[in-house]
Amino acid sequence: MSKSRNPRKKSSKPQNRRKRSGFWRFMFRAGAVGLVLLAGWMVYLDAVVTSRFEGRRFEVPSRVYARPLELYDGASVSASGLARELELAGYRAGDGARVGTYQRSGGRFVISARGFRFPDGEEPRRRLSLVVSGDRVQSFSVLAGPDSPIVRLEPAQIGGIYPSHREDRVLVRLEEVPDLLPKGLMVIEDRQFYEHFGVAPQSIARAMLANIKAGQIVQGGSTLTQQLVKNFFLTRDQTLIRKGNEALMSVLLEWHYEKDDILETYLNEVYLGQAGNRSINGFGLASQFFFGEPLKDLDVQQIALLIGMVKGPSYYNPRRHPERAKARRDLVLSEMAEAGLISADESARAIRQPLGVSSRPSYTDNRYPAYIDLVRRHLARDYREEDLQSEGLRIFTTLDPAVQNASETAIRDTLPRLARGDTREALEAALVVTAKDTGEVLALVGGKDPSFAGFNRAVDARRPIGSLIKPFTYLAALGQADRYTLITPVQDRAFTLEFDDGRLWQPKNYDGKERGEVPLHLTLSHSYNLPAVRIGLDVGIPRVQEVLRAFGVTTPISDYPSMLLGALSLTPTDVAQLYQGLATSGFNTPLRTIREVTDARNEPLSRYSLKVDRVADPAAVHLVQYAMQETMQEGTGRSAYFSLPDRLTLAGKTGTTDEGRDSWFAGFSGDLLAVAWVGRDDNGPTVLTGASGALPVWSAMMAQLPQHGFSPVMPDGIQYHWVNAQQQALTGERCANARLVPFIVGSEPQQRIDCEGQFGRQIRSWFEGLFQ
Amino acid sequence: MMKAVFSRCACLALALGVVGCASGPGGGSIYVPVGGQDRSTAPEPPRASGSEQDAEPRVWRKSEQPEVSEPEPPATRSPSYRQAGDELPAAAVSLIRDADQRLQQGDYNGAIARLERAQRIAPRSAEVYFKLAEAYVAGDNLGAAEQFTLKGLSLAGNDTRMQRSGWLLLADIRRARGNVAGADQAETRAQAL
Repeated sequence: MSKSRNPRKKSSKPQNRRKRSGFWRFMFRAGAVGLVLLAGWMVYLDAVVTSRFEGRRFEVPSRVYARPLELYDGASVSASGLARELELAGYRAGDGARVGTYQRSGGRFVISARGFRFPDGEEPRRRLSLVVSGDRVQSFSVLAGPDSPIVRLEPAQIGGIYPSHREDRVLVRLEEVPDLLPKGLMVIEDRQFYEHFGVAPQSIARAMLANIKAGQIVQGGSTLTQQLVKNFFLTRDQTLIRKGNEALMSVLLEWHYEKDDILETYLNEVYLGQAGNRSINGFGLASQFFFGEPLKDLDVQQIALLIGMVKGPSYYNPRRHPERAKARRDLVLSEMAEAGLISADESARAIRQPLGVSSRPSYTDNRYPAYIDLVRRHLARDYREEDLQSEGLRIFTTLDPAVQNASETAIRDTLPRLARGDTREALEAALVVTAKDTGEVLALVGGKDPSFAGFNRAVDARRPIGSLIKPFTYLAALGQADRYTLITPVQDRAFTLEFDDGRLWQPKNYDGKERGEVPLHLTLSHSYNLPAVRIGLDVGIPRVQEVLRAFGVTTPISDYPSMLLGALSLTPTDVAQLYQGLATSGFNTPLRTIREVTDARNEPLSRYSLKVDRVADPAAVHLVQYAMQETMQEGTGRSAYFSLPDRLTLAGKTGTTDEGRDSWFAGFSGDLLAVAWVGRDDNGPTVLTGASGALPVWSAMMAQLPQHGFSPVMPDGIQYHWVNAQQQALTGERCANARLVPFIVGSEPQQRIDCEGQFGRQIRSWFEGLFQ
Repeated sequence: MMKAVFSRCACLALALGVVGCASGPGGGSIYVPVGGQDRSTAPEPPRASGSEQDAEPRVWRKSEQPEVSEPEPPATRSPSYRQAGDELPAAAVSLIRDADQRLQQGDYNGAIARLERAQRIAPRSAEVYFKLAEAYVAGDNLGAAEQFTLKGLSLAGNDTRMQRSGWLLLADIRRARGNVAGADQAETRAQAL
């Protein structure tokens, strides 16, 4: 029995044991599975949080800067231009002693420059004194800081290249941050930051108690680490699961990274405001955004304000709710005093200070969309879009804010005056301005609404260039000094060209008139079509094409004679490139919008250097420049002097296509080259010519800028002679019809009409004048 | 060969800053501030002819609008030119000195960056381009060096010292590039001065 029982007993015991062990096994298994799941979850969370941490730590949009303003004795700038430039770079009118302020009385400026790390070296902090008189800098001196005869102001930031989630930041490093910021932050948000392991149970308990009392979540009790984790995922809902996840991820973060790494990332990550559709993350950018100053220059009360805003960036927005913001700031200040970070005196003094927030964000969205568009296209040659969005590159462009401002004003003010009714509505314009000798693009306007980031006509509107092509035909001819000079007589007479297939072509002058024999220089300055076609056919279309290609045309050029009247479609920027060679006496200078690109640590990545390439004989170009100056003085461009001073010598060329569909003007002074286009997007007709459409825009821009007149240095192989063009002879300076004309040496007329033959006549005319 | 180029460049450095500026009959390049007083040719804006009591602003009908006269070209205005490029302002000279130092330390890019700043300040001065040529020679980019020399020569005008420096520099660069004929030609030009 016992045997039988025993086995039963025995069997029951093991059963019990089996039951018990089954339970434990189940528990063990469940626990194991749970642990595995938890471990898996932890691994997952770990992967999520570390990748976020690593990714965010370094994801910084690229910054685009205008060219820095160079200040030195003789620098060309107007007093109002300098003031505007300073505002744009985030300087405030003030005593000129505090860094980042300037003091102006009339033309006298005292500027306390911040200093800036340029790709080629540091521009240290300096106090500068100067006088702007006659649109020039005078009496330039350095009052404090290393002496130098020339100083660059920090460049204005004109835009950024943002990642798709449109977060912006200015990366700061912990060691660059004012000490008070992290310390104050810990006093307010997380006193045990350096002790806890990511979560602080004590504060959580305290917060929970408060929450239970209030019946809702009123307190966070989050550590800085938890706040950082929360910031990574951008959702504001506070469920328990989320809280748990946050806590786990915080612990994981602490396990992986040093406290200082976490603190630095927090400083760069925390959400502090909103600018349109972009969020303001990190103290570096917030400092720029609210005060227009770098973090390292902030005062105690400014730091306190930023710390206070962490709790509720929109609730404590100092621009929208200044009183709330000030109360919060003052609370932070007294807490900081209580914690011994600042003295009671300091705190009291800081509390008396106003908020000191700049009136408008010093930092606006891309305000020059057309220009930035061209910059991006140039960058796309060497950089990937992802890198531009996330690597924090610094892009130093050639944009000149004064020239850009003048260009936008010129289009805005001039365009409505050019036409009436529907045409006025439909009229569009584009303007490109470059520095004549460097090829740097100083300004670009892509349409009549410069702030509209749409169709960029300056770069994309490909239109027939009309008479703008003529200087190149004339250059081809004048390069053959044995056949053509500026005074060669050309027939201004109609003719018919018959093609092989029997079609006929009859070019006409714009005014329909014919003038017979006209000296070559006048046919260009008055833009007569018939002589231009005759000359072009004489030197040969292939030769003209060759010149155009040498000067930068890359698109196919028609073989038909109609190309001699501008049946070649180019964009305004293409035309600017083409005319650069004419303006610089035959040296092609590639247009540039970018000087340099560096990475976030100021290591140079690319330099886009000045390049010159001689594409034509400077002597022949000098002759074309002569006729292009004549265009402005007595030819189709003379109406420019309605708005420009006589002393400003200029050279240029008008262009008009059939029925005024395109109105062009391309021209240059000593310093600037500009191309203006006016027309309709639908390519419809207008009543405009180059002189009545594009030229007023061009002149309105030029009239706003101080600059040198155009006066080319006489190149090797050129000599000026007084000549009588009608007689094809050299003559004396005082003789009738005498004109001082440049010739390639050896091509000047051989015979001379001395004044002897005309002496009597000159006396007679004297007397005629006396006795009339 | 490089050494020869260097020694020439040293001569050039000496020439810096002592160049006079001679204007041709066309005059030098004139700096024109905004709103110059000599806007003599701008047409008068239409004015109401009535007295001040005439409160009602006069409406111009299109037919009686005053003729806008074309500005008469003044007798003195003629295409401008000059015999020499610009003198270097002190700011540019200091940048060039800085560039020289960097060149001696073998920092070509630093030197070029400074010379380009100088070029922006004094874009019509032959020296700046010769200096750029020198920096490109030192950086062993002889193609660019030749182009900058040509550009400098186009601005040397009637300054024989500047011209001679330029032609000799060109001769050296061309010889270094293996263009013997071109080098001889440049040398001849230098000797003819």
